[in-house]
Amino acid sequence: MKIVQINKENWTDGLKKLSEIYRLFGPVKEDDFHNFLELEQGQLPDLNCLNTRLSPKSIIYPQSEVMFEYTLDENQKDHHILKEVKKDYSPQAVIGIRPCDARAFALVRLNFDTPEHQDPYWLKAYEATTLVGLACESPCSSCFCTTAGCGPYHEEELDLLLIDSGDQYWAKIITDKGKAFLKAAGWTQTVDEKTALKEIKAKKQAAEDKICSTVNTDKLREIETNELYNAPFWEEVSFSCINCGTCTYVCPTCWCFDIQDENLGSSGCRMRNWDSCMYPLFTAHGSGHNPRDTKLHRVRQRFMHKLKYYVDKYDTGIQCVGCGRCVRLCPVNIDIRRVCELMNSHAAAKD
Amino acid sequence: MLSYIDKIKEISIRLLKECRVEMVIGFRKGTVPMMNEPHFAKSPEDVENFVWDSNCGINLCNYLTNRGEKIGILAKGCDSRNIVTHIIENKIKRDQLVIIGVPCKGMIDKRKISAMFEGEIGEVIENENNITVKGDGFEKTLNKKDVLQQNCAICIHRNPVIHDELVGDLVEEQIDVDRYEDVREIEALAPQEKATHFEKLLEPCIRCYACRNACPLCYCPTCFTDESRPQWVGKGQDPTDVSTFHFLRAYHCAGRCTDCGACERSCPVGINMRVFTKKLEKDCLELFEWEAGLDPDVRPPLDTYRPGDPDEFIK
Amino acid sequence: MGIEPDRLQFSWVSSAEATKFVQVVTEVTRAIKDLGPNKNLVKTMPKVA
Repeated sequence: MKIVQINKENWTDGLKKLSEIYRLFGPVKEDDFHNFLELEQGQLPDLNCLNTRLSPKSIIYPQSEVMFEYTLDENQKDHHILKEVKKDYSPQAVIGIRPCDARAFALVRLNFDTPEHQDPYWLKAYEATTLVGLACESPCSSCFCTTAGCGPYHEEELDLLLIDSGDQYWAKIITDKGKAFLKAAGWTQTVDEKTALKEIKAKKQAAEDKICSTVNTDKLREIETNELYNAPFWEEVSFSCINCGTCTYVCPTCWCFDIQDENLGSSGCRMRNWDSCMYPLFTAHGSGHNPRDTKLHRVRQRFMHKLKYYVDKYDTGIQCVGCGRCVRLCPVNIDIRRVCELMNSHAAAKD
Repeated sequence: MLSYIDKIKEISIRLLKECRVEMVIGFRKGTVPMMNEPHFAKSPEDVENFVWDSNCGINLCNYLTNRGEKIGILAKGCDSRNIVTHIIENKIKRDQLVIIGVPCKGMIDKRKISAMFEGEIGEVIENENNITVKGDGFEKTLNKKDVLQQNCAICIHRNPVIHDELVGDLVEEQIDVDRYEDVREIEALAPQEKATHFEKLLEPCIRCYACRNACPLCYCPTCFTDESRPQWVGKGQDPTDVSTFHFLRAYHCAGRCTDCGACERSCPVGINMRVFTKKLEKDCLELFEWEAGLDPDVRPPLDTYRPGDPDEFIK
Repeated sequence: MGIEPDRLQFSWVSSAEATKFVQVVTEVTRAIKDLGPNKNLVKTMPKVA
């Protein structure tokens, strides 16, 4: 069994059963746009959403996450000891995650799960999570997933891929986690896989054909780092940047964080918060010196990291899944597709 | 406003050719609908990329702070008022600037227009009074007046207050505009209701600081939110920290804000933080008869004391 | 901001006006006691995310 048919009339019932086992997350429309939120009892994920404003990375990697806490109250057990906090790592499922956002977890994993270091918070949350993808039928004009190592039907990192087919969803089982999810929902109706696969293939092609935006990345690896670093276009690229953190915070693949201690009376905690390479504070030294003191340095760092250093270090393509959020939300319209083209063609010009 | 572009190019090329300026700051066409990107031209050839339409809402004065060269800058009414404020606050010298005034009829509100349609907007075509919005399965023509940014709809200083060149005839200023309807509504709330209202307003904030960084007034070398010795405000998502950031930022803009709308426009999660700065703007107008950025030779109310100060306790 | 008007008070007291100072402090403390503890803009420990 590889594909299960979910009749839409059984959708609500299945979700109800699932909510007894999983904490469910899905796209919910708030005011003018969608975001991934924990679904309340009986609340349905809005699968008509094009994509969410913010990426679902926060479900596994919250913007602000407490790691340790302490108390100085001598009446409490373990006072004066910085203790790891207990967290809820019970099963959770993200319903309706787009293939691009799911693939982003594979990229982020390279940072949080290495042979030398395993980030316990990210890994535990990741392991507790079932990713139920929704194939993208109408990609946005600013999506460029097909040339960013991804695609509207891409399956990487997903446990299940849902394909909307009129009165029913087809659920393509990718992992055992996905299988368990379907079982818990009571969705077991099998289909003639040959026919289904054929239709899925056609739909996939149709969706891919709708992607009208692309990036060229073929030359990035071969060009000398210093050639790109010293390229003349950075002044022009960075001019309009206001050094806000929008691009990094909406990006599903940006992973940087900063650790902060907070005290309140006789107790306190140690937390980590998302940080952004766009902020001067990101690299400010205790001495007062800042190696990335100008916005040109910072803008260059962001693009060099995503499109050059990462490419060189991991050899798995660019650190971008083509979701287009930074393109759509940058307050001054700095477009990674344009910058990527400048970098890639700069490489070509040197041939 | 669309007709300005020839004149903008002509002036920019002239200024660059005559070496009166080293760069001209304007806009180039954006890569997504209803967006343009702030852009500079250092040679007459670069000027070719300049555009002007109703998507030039970013306040270009933000790009002047502490620059040393001679600069030509396109300035709408609000931009020009921020340039005046920059001159008053010594962030740029008047004689460094050639201000190319752009009489403005308002910028369109990308967020408002996007919310009017179910699907994605593919293209927006603009003419003098209307815009036509096209997308997958829909096409609609809207009157520009109905889809202006809120600050533009209530703007009473559309013409540049200071300029060396002009790209077109001055436009008629709007009169009888009620600028503070929304502020009065909030003022009427009880303290607890206000607290709840603001907490709800700021709930989506992701602390990307786009509002602060898009603002020409926010040029502190180190913002109080970035200070660590002492740390004035926590860095997490605690609602108290988030509100503290927004409240304090607004207070730092008191008597300086021109309600250019750059903060609200740049917010990725659609927060109208202008309600804070507008309240202070209203107070400055009512208490000190002050509107920011109208005259480089008058000191602002918060750095002068006048015997007629409206607060009783200080007399 | 959700701060009650009485909670924030401004006064101008010269160092020679001891009586006025006492009077102001007495009035302010009475007003604040009437209002009770401030509930808004008071930070609590961050929730475990």
